[in-house]
Amino acid sequence: MSGGRYRYLFSPLRVGPLVVRNRIVFSAHLTNYAQDGLPSEQHAEYYAARAAGGAGLIITEEHSTHVTDWPYEKLIHGFHREVIPGYRRITEAVHAHGTPILAQLNHNGGQASSMYSRLPVWAPSPVPDPMFREVPKAIDAREIAEVVAGYGTVAGHCAEGGFDGVELQCSHSSIVRGFLSPATNKRTDAYGGSLHNRARILLEIIDAVREAIGPERALGVRLCGDELIEGGTTIDEAVEVAKLVEATGKVDYINTSIGVATSTLFMIEASMAIPPGYALFIANAIRDAVRLPVIGVGRIKDPVQAERALAEGHCDLVGVVRGQIADADFVAKARAGHATEIRTCLSCNQECVGRMGLNRWLGCIENPRTGKESVPLPMPGPRPQRVLVVGGGPAGLQAASTAAQRGHHVTLFERNETTGGQVTLAASVPSRAEFLDVVRNLLAECQRYGVDIKTGAEASAELLRSESPDAVVLATGAKPKKPYWAGDLERVVDVRDVLEGRATPDGEVVVLDDLGFHQATSVAELLADRGCSVRITTSGMVVGQDLGVTLDMETFNVRAHAKGIRQHTDEVILGASEVDGRIVLQVLTHTTGVTTERTCDWVVCATHQAPEDELWQELKGAPFPVYRAGDCVTPRRAHAAVIEGHRVGVAL
Amino acid sequence: MSPITDPIEIAGRTAPSRVLFGPHETNLARGRVLSDRHVAYYAARAAGGAGVIVTETASVHDSDWPYERAPLAALCGPGWSSTVDACRPHGTLVLAGLGHTGSQGSSAFGQSALWAPSRVPDVASRELPMEMEDDEINALVAGFRDSAALAAESGMDGVEIDAGQYSLLRQFSSGLTNQRGDEYGTDKSRLLREVLGAVRESGGIVGLRLSCDELAPWAGLTPEQAAVLARDLAELVDYLVPVRGSAMSASATRPDLHTEPGFNLDLCRRITEAVEGRTLTALQGSVVDPAQARQALDDGVANLVEMTRAQIAEPELVAKVRAGAQPRPCVLSNQKCRVRDNRNPIVSCIGEPHSGHETEDVADGHDAPRDVLVIGGGPAGLEAARVLALRGHRVELRERTDRLGGMLRLAANVGGRARLGKLADWLESEVHRLGVTVRTGVEVTDVPHDAIVATGSVAGPRNYAVHGGTVVDVVDLLAGAQLPDGPIVVADPVGDFVGVGIAELLASQGKATTIVSQDQVVGTQLALTGDLADANTRLQQAGVTLAKRSLLREVYAGHVVLEDVFTAERRELECAAVVHCGHRLPDTLPGPHRAGDCVAPRTVHEAILEGRRAAMAISAGALV
Repeated sequence: MSGGRYRYLFSPLRVGPLVVRNRIVFSAHLTNYAQDGLPSEQHAEYYAARAAGGAGLIITEEHSTHVTDWPYEKLIHGFHREVIPGYRRITEAVHAHGTPILAQLNHNGGQASSMYSRLPVWAPSPVPDPMFREVPKAIDAREIAEVVAGYGTVAGHCAEGGFDGVELQCSHSSIVRGFLSPATNKRTDAYGGSLHNRARILLEIIDAVREAIGPERALGVRLCGDELIEGGTTIDEAVEVAKLVEATGKVDYINTSIGVATSTLFMIEASMAIPPGYALFIANAIRDAVRLPVIGVGRIKDPVQAERALAEGHCDLVGVVRGQIADADFVAKARAGHATEIRTCLSCNQECVGRMGLNRWLGCIENPRTGKESVPLPMPGPRPQRVLVVGGGPAGLQAASTAAQRGHHVTLFERNETTGGQVTLAASVPSRAEFLDVVRNLLAECQRYGVDIKTGAEASAELLRSESPDAVVLATGAKPKKPYWAGDLERVVDVRDVLEGRATPDGEVVVLDDLGFHQATSVAELLADRGCSVRITTSGMVVGQDLGVTLDMETFNVRAHAKGIRQHTDEVILGASEVDGRIVLQVLTHTTGVTTERTCDWVVCATHQAPEDELWQELKGAPFPVYRAGDCVTPRRAHAAVIEGHRVGVAL
Repeated sequence: MSPITDPIEIAGRTAPSRVLFGPHETNLARGRVLSDRHVAYYAARAAGGAGVIVTETASVHDSDWPYERAPLAALCGPGWSSTVDACRPHGTLVLAGLGHTGSQGSSAFGQSALWAPSRVPDVASRELPMEMEDDEINALVAGFRDSAALAAESGMDGVEIDAGQYSLLRQFSSGLTNQRGDEYGTDKSRLLREVLGAVRESGGIVGLRLSCDELAPWAGLTPEQAAVLARDLAELVDYLVPVRGSAMSASATRPDLHTEPGFNLDLCRRITEAVEGRTLTALQGSVVDPAQARQALDDGVANLVEMTRAQIAEPELVAKVRAGAQPRPCVLSNQKCRVRDNRNPIVSCIGEPHSGHETEDVADGHDAPRDVLVIGGGPAGLEAARVLALRGHRVELRERTDRLGGMLRLAANVGGRARLGKLADWLESEVHRLGVTVRTGVEVTDVPHDAIVATGSVAGPRNYAVHGGTVVDVVDLLAGAQLPDGPIVVADPVGDFVGVGIAELLASQGKATTIVSQDQVVGTQLALTGDLADANTRLQQAGVTLAKRSLLREVYAGHVVLEDVFTAERRELECAAVVHCGHRLPDTLPGPHRAGDCVAPRTVHEAILEGRRAAMAISAGALV
């Protein structure tokens, strides 16, 4: 097979001294897999899995070039020679699959704090970063030379460590970006003012790095095409910088990026609220101006989108990061003509981007193996066992798929006519449709591995006992639970009542956000779209507080504003009563202790559910092992269901 | 002689002083193992005279992984042994902190459902825990038993069991979180008694940290109920540390400087009276002043006094009290010692940056005395002068204004932050005590080649257009500038204690005050000190208007223009004057050894760290 359906995707390309066998790049992204500033075994296994899965080119996460650069805890300190054995472990693991791998070099400049380094933060000018909010030290000529030399040193470490080249991150979190951008470079010396002056440090770094790696290795430069900040770099200047870079004759490709990590991150790692391919205009504009190969990026989720980006001439290579986090075999499946088997990324950002922002290791809501590549799964026990799974939501589907893949005979009972559980509901609201992919992908896997799926099938304790299975997995989910203050009021309903069609609120609606995630904001948008006048109230300090973690906060608020959704914080509902056919709520502002009345027509509650655990109770003492996974243990978010489903599937 | 320096017998073992260094998060662990940094950290406090040290609370079961570097008891044997080896030469008793945080933990690391008595979501994380069944309860008790046995095998003097703020045992004891119908619900202290009985089997000291006021009287444990509980448990424990707080009041247990030191005096006295001498008690609660500690012991409030933050600020606290010297004061800012944060900051101190870094920055050698000029009498300059004088140099400190303390003095004028002045007082008294020649009201323009420059900062740029009206820099306001009558807008692009404190200060003066923040929550940087929710409550109670997710765009005489950060919608706000609380810029006086804000304007911690480093650099130079 040569990927015949794809005219461009599987055509080899020369990138400087390298030849890549296809156009899919696993481009640089943070993983938090480093330990004590050194690359870990997990790094090696993580990249190796993507190499084995067919990636054309891998570019690692950034390697810091100087001691003043330590913005987050688990940064690779490339400036220490001690990194080299870890580099070799990575490059040997990746080269075993014939895949070239580059190391990204970076100094984050002012986009950092002194928390870890205990040293002043270095930047072109004393302009505090919008997120870290620490005034940096404006570096002098001697310090600029030290920064430049640091890039050369680390490039040398990378060459010694077996990398096929390096990429300079000059794009979304970088001292080079800081120099390039008029927003952060206020200098009046030779490194500030004109574009040529602002680009001077970049050109010096290119010289130093090429000197360090020699002609046999590739050198790439990643540029930001639009910082999306006031007074920042926009596409015209980015194109000019790309030309300056090409003119050095020392660079082999240009990579692209959009946004500033500490200001407009939601546009760098866009959630499903932003259309795929949204940043390809940058690659397009640069490709028009230079002859070097250009990498395009921006939520490219599947091989067809990637092929189209190439076919339309936007870029020569396509960065697919989250797509390969979710499925390490993204490229291999496309090449084999099995693109529909790819576990496509949801762009939900819950376990990848979200965990990065919280200083945790990189994972994936769909792929329980992401982040654990270096921890082998235990061998399956005696096979095949006859396993009965009750519940076809993400926990049950994942348990069934994993168990079947590991050689067991699995039957899954789903009470409803379709599988998918609450994910189906979550994906039924505006701008959340792609969330459905998690259960669509899981269902396809179940079918591929031969799970016998019985829908519309209620599994009672008697039925399960009568089957005398080797094991039962309960993934029976959760049921809505009315808040204590709601009494018998019929027009106080759960989000699920609305999404499942049991309630159709109209008029003035108060949405209660107890969960701090998409539940409240999604139903609020849905009802506003239907013409309701909607307020969201929360006891927290922010409505939908965890939308910030998944980078959905900005886009939600823009939409909410357009839809007239009002937001109230620091409020607790103490009571509700029906007066003249309307609902009157007693609302306590807990910060001030003031209680007010609020009248509305409906209240929709996004609040904690109760587990469906009747079978768990009824099967106590059963003659076969009974496992639980997901919401029937205690109701939580989808990632917990997938992780626990997988854990049970492995444990059988 | 203060009684805090007297020895005390605890269950047949003798502590060399009555001062407890309590269990607290440090982020010093390697993975979930106590590290050599832990050992050095505890050893410094033992050497300084601590009577009892309780090591960082370790999880007794792997269902508990509340923060990334939370120690796991099963892995702590070697670390406990090393800690004992390092501390025992000083006579200090070393106990293992043991606990399980239950629903106040995190599922991010263990990736399993949190354990809890009932399915009640935690207030902060909102995560719904699972209800523990018999298997989990048995595993928990076994975890405590096995962990105490391991501590004993490792040579520890005993254990301290956590039923305080972040604890599953508190969750079982409390009507807020225990809604069980079984015997663990009808008898809410049953699990606690089972655990205490299990850890007693190992024979060492058994301490108990017990929340005695959950500050949620509608269902939580009240001081009245706690007194009964303490009396019931007295025979099972060798000492008791009454604390306050629950998940409903997470910041109340170890609050910052907005809460008066010694806030648990009444609570502790009540518990001490209730136990009638059948167990010892320890006073906890922002006890940082040795005089207050002494008074509490004299008054019979407790037998021991926990002074954890005081010993983070001053490892030699007891030794200094014993010698009649002035310990470095803890100002309760919580800025560097409160480390429950996703970023895993290392425990440290604004005034003693060596804390938490005991294995780094080790000073040794002796200097040839020389003359050194320090320019600038803020915290960086004061610390540089202090360290140089300590190392035997002849130091002259010149300050432009007529008072030492620099920005630290001004910061102490911010609402609720007066205690910061104690650090300035201490630095000032130390440089005088050590014989530094201090000259105030002197401007230096010619910098000698080996002087230390610590000249601070100047006002920074303003990211809004001023078409008229009054804009007052916060530093000028704190130095005494007057504001016109009428509504005040506090421009706070930073989100730390300055803008919030200024808004509180102005509101307390009766001014109609609005604070403008680009964030969705005012004072976001206060999350680290634990004051974020409290600060927002104080602001609202003071009547301050919170202009959230707003950019200040334009200032006119009489009004300002704000812009929504998400929607760019603009609105006008009546305004007589803007108080600007933005970032500052470094002073530009050149010099080879620069420290603090004149390098880059940051906080007092960096100023003191760099002042000390500059002094050490000069000292090192003297060796050559």
